[in-house]
Amino acid sequence: MSIQVEQISKQYGSFTALADVSLTIGSGELVALLGPSGSGKTTLLRIIAGLESPDAGSILLHGEESTQHSASKRGIGFVFQHYALFRHMTIAENIAFGLRVQSRKLRPSRRDIRERVQELLHLVQLDSYAQMYPEQLSGGQRQRVALARALAVRPKVLLLDEPFSALDAKVRKDLRDWLRRIHDDLHVTTVLVTHDQEEALEVADRVAILNRGKLEQIGTPQSIYDNPASPFVYNFLGNVNLFHGRLLADLSSVERGSGANDPVQSAIGFVRPHELEISRTLPLDGRAVLAKVVRIHAAGPQVRVELSIAGNGNPVAAELGRKQFEELALVLGDDIFVWPQSIRLFDDAGAKSLLLDQGAGI
Amino acid sequence: MSSRSTIPSILQPSLGQRVGRAALILVALLFVAGFLVLPIVAVFTQAFSQGWAMYRDSIHQQDVLSALRLTGLVACIAVPLNMVFGIAASWAITRFEFHGKSLLITLIDIPLAVSPVVAGMMYVEVFGLHGWLGPWLKQHNLHVIFAVPGIVLATVFVTFPFVARELIPFMQAQGSDEEVAAVVLGAGGWNIFWRVTLPNIKWALLYGTILAASRSIGEFGAVSVVSGHIRGETTTLPLQVEMLYNEYNFTAAFAAASLLTLAAIVTLVIKKILEVTSRVHQHIPERDIES
Repeated sequence: MSIQVEQISKQYGSFTALADVSLTIGSGELVALLGPSGSGKTTLLRIIAGLESPDAGSILLHGEESTQHSASKRGIGFVFQHYALFRHMTIAENIAFGLRVQSRKLRPSRRDIRERVQELLHLVQLDSYAQMYPEQLSGGQRQRVALARALAVRPKVLLLDEPFSALDAKVRKDLRDWLRRIHDDLHVTTVLVTHDQEEALEVADRVAILNRGKLEQIGTPQSIYDNPASPFVYNFLGNVNLFHGRLLADLSSVERGSGANDPVQSAIGFVRPHELEISRTLPLDGRAVLAKVVRIHAAGPQVRVELSIAGNGNPVAAELGRKQFEELALVLGDDIFVWPQSIRLFDDAGAKSLLLDQGAGI
Repeated sequence: MSSRSTIPSILQPSLGQRVGRAALILVALLFVAGFLVLPIVAVFTQAFSQGWAMYRDSIHQQDVLSALRLTGLVACIAVPLNMVFGIAASWAITRFEFHGKSLLITLIDIPLAVSPVVAGMMYVEVFGLHGWLGPWLKQHNLHVIFAVPGIVLATVFVTFPFVARELIPFMQAQGSDEEVAAVVLGAGGWNIFWRVTLPNIKWALLYGTILAASRSIGEFGAVSVVSGHIRGETTTLPLQVEMLYNEYNFTAAFAAASLLTLAAIVTLVIKKILEVTSRVHQHIPERDIES
């Protein structure tokens, strides 16, 4: 079932939670709503669920105007950040709840309910936990029960509100992969709210990035990672080095050579740590700058090196592969040359962006 | 160096500390013995001072029995009313935002702040023969003051806050997550209340109910004003105790008083059991501060 969000606005007192947000989620798609706290992503999810009502705009479920329908009538499954399992019911009773409260006409027989519960317990790999109570389960297990409970009523839409954020990193990663597999099996239209960019980029078919109640960009993980539409998106999607004003004065001189004719007076340049090149010798074109190694984080597949640009002391972070790191044999206090492979520029309003692939300099 | 010396000093109190502790404990115990245990013992000693047969006869008096019945009747009406009100008020206060919410919370506490005698007098002023509704009630031959309805009203008033005050902090701590989850799963109000809300609050509700019951059995001041002290008709057990005492019928007075004391002790025991049981069953999950 498709979801159409049309010009939704929501105000809490003087705080604007959502301002004129529109987006369409296709049937069977998994879309992540990504943003920092206060960006309006949870409010939008709750409006889609019918747990909040918008001040303006409308929600269409499967093309049908649903803004006024109550949450209990929308046929959605909702998974809460803190599980919200019924603490006095067993796991099996929790999963069966949505079926048991259906009106007599729709309610499946006791036997069908029991079978459906078994089926879901199997799906979430908790077959032997049926008679336990929520507090006897770990966080990850509880969230799987919550998902089973939401799926029991065969919802046409599944909404997840930061479902993994209360879990520790390892469990979070496992559950994320597992959620994606379940989605691939069931193909239920899914909206996932998260503030974790890695989670959003890894799990979702498309990612919608929200900031201060506005939709900044929506697209496939790769397209938004490669072509961020605004400085905010660029910043939010990963570690980044930021270059302001003074550096750009230098850049504009570089630009003339590269043929770009936009007059970049004051702009912001972004370079991801892995886009920085490091060398012990000055490269031939001479555009690199001298920097001092101030910190090395070598635990992991990538080595993160923090540098301080000679002259102005600006901090810059670079990432390089282990192999290159070992070849360079970097140690703290080394003076090295650094330059970007590519740099993305945004003008002041953040509206225009320009990617310099070659010949960029700091 | 012996391993003993590594124990922090707090676990190895000096002689002075130990004496200090013992003295504090002694003071507390003496206080409890003098002000709580001794009087209770005195009540039962007096009650049984003329022997078991006399005790039984004192209680089997017509007036005492009817006072006992009336007290039971009043509790049976007042307590359920308070349960209904308490659940409704706490549900409204903890689950919804509305104007006048803080005013409502304050109003619930009024019976705790007001002297019960004043409470009784308010009802006399409203329902009494010369009160606001007096003429209308007389016209319709309804008796409130100096009759059972007045006693019930006064008791409801003084026990008003007990259930709500137990439930409100409890329901606030639990949050409404489970109810919201039930709504999304398609449950209606009726199903949500019986299947989700009530099972979650049952221990706190029982606890509040016990407190309300104990107060409604023991209430003296407010009931005294509205009762009229008609022997065998509008006398509750506490009023009966006072009447017997004023007639210098000490043995009977203390026998009746021993019933009230017994009721209080039973209440305390049930309360304690509930505290232990509810701690086992009502594990409130820790929540993250985040988000």
